[in-house]
Amino acid sequence: MRTDTTQVGDARRRVEQLLTELPGDADQLSFNHPWELRAFALAVAAYHNGQYDWSEFQLALIGAIRQWEDGAAGEPWRYYDRWLEALETVLSGNGVLAGTELDDRAGAVLATPRDANHHHTHREPVAVDPAR
Amino acid sequence: MSTTESPLPVTMHQRSDAEVAARVKALESIMIEKGIMTTEAVDRLAEIYENEVGPQLGASVVAKAWSDPGFRERLLANGTEACAEMGIGGLQGEDMVVVENTDTVHNVIVCTLCSCYPWPVLGLPPNWYKYPAYRSSIVRAPRQVLRESFGFDIPESVEIRVWDSSSEMRYWVLPQRPEGTERMSESELAALVTRDSMIGTGPMATP
Repeated sequence: MRTDTTQVGDARRRVEQLLTELPGDADQLSFNHPWELRAFALAVAAYHNGQYDWSEFQLALIGAIRQWEDGAAGEPWRYYDRWLEALETVLSGNGVLAGTELDDRAGAVLATPRDANHHHTHREPVAVDPAR
Repeated sequence: MSTTESPLPVTMHQRSDAEVAARVKALESIMIEKGIMTTEAVDRLAEIYENEVGPQLGASVVAKAWSDPGFRERLLANGTEACAEMGIGGLQGEDMVVVENTDTVHNVIVCTLCSCYPWPVLGLPPNWYKYPAYRSSIVRAPRQVLRESFGFDIPESVEIRVWDSSSEMRYWVLPQRPEGTERMSESELAALVTRDSMIGTGPMATP
């Protein structure tokens, strides 16, 4: 695993930029929104960390998709909604997520203004790496 | 874990993009706090799957199979082992079975249950592969779906086989080498191999 944060940070911005700017037929894309790629990567990362067997996640995904198909009324099809649901299911099943923790956190994220960390004007460089 | 025992969350309405994005962000922050992962690890994974794993890997396998009869035999005998010879493999590539198109047989892959797909050779599946419409209709009327949804006409004289991938076994298609490519190098050949030709829903690029 690469730990060069600058390089990875750049890669992330590049990926997100690519994702939001991709033109053309959305059906041809793997991801329609950055959160989908993020949700995808979270599931893979938690698997790599040993939180569950991949087969458990697959079963949960099959279950989530089947449930959507059984009760298809109302909610339009969106693959990564089911993906996220499956991830929540396995993480609840193994005790990583408990109670309303995720609901509460998601509410807090929504309530946080996008520019929460930029309320104060920074007129000077916030970091300087001096010349040598 | 049994999916029949675990109560699934009941979603009464579809979340807006802002809501679901916040939920994913919240989930990430919780998992990072609990030491399950680091932001860098997630970033790196996202980067890998977005930029580095893709159908170009499968295309290189196909080109090698066209150029090297011994490799082709090994690929058809054991897809996972043959790909490993080329350093290609990983998650969702554990049990790959490669099915070969011939003058008389055309192969198409699907996953009717979810979206099992050989990531290491094809990258992540395109959205249409995951749509319920594709998953059910390609099984019911493959020739018609290929023609009407993909504009891909398979001659009536050619049998179409639809392979249903599962978490245990993932299929992908070895397309036929186009005519007039005898003098091409492996890398020139690989450039002709499209993602859809390895799914079975589209043709090769024209030389």
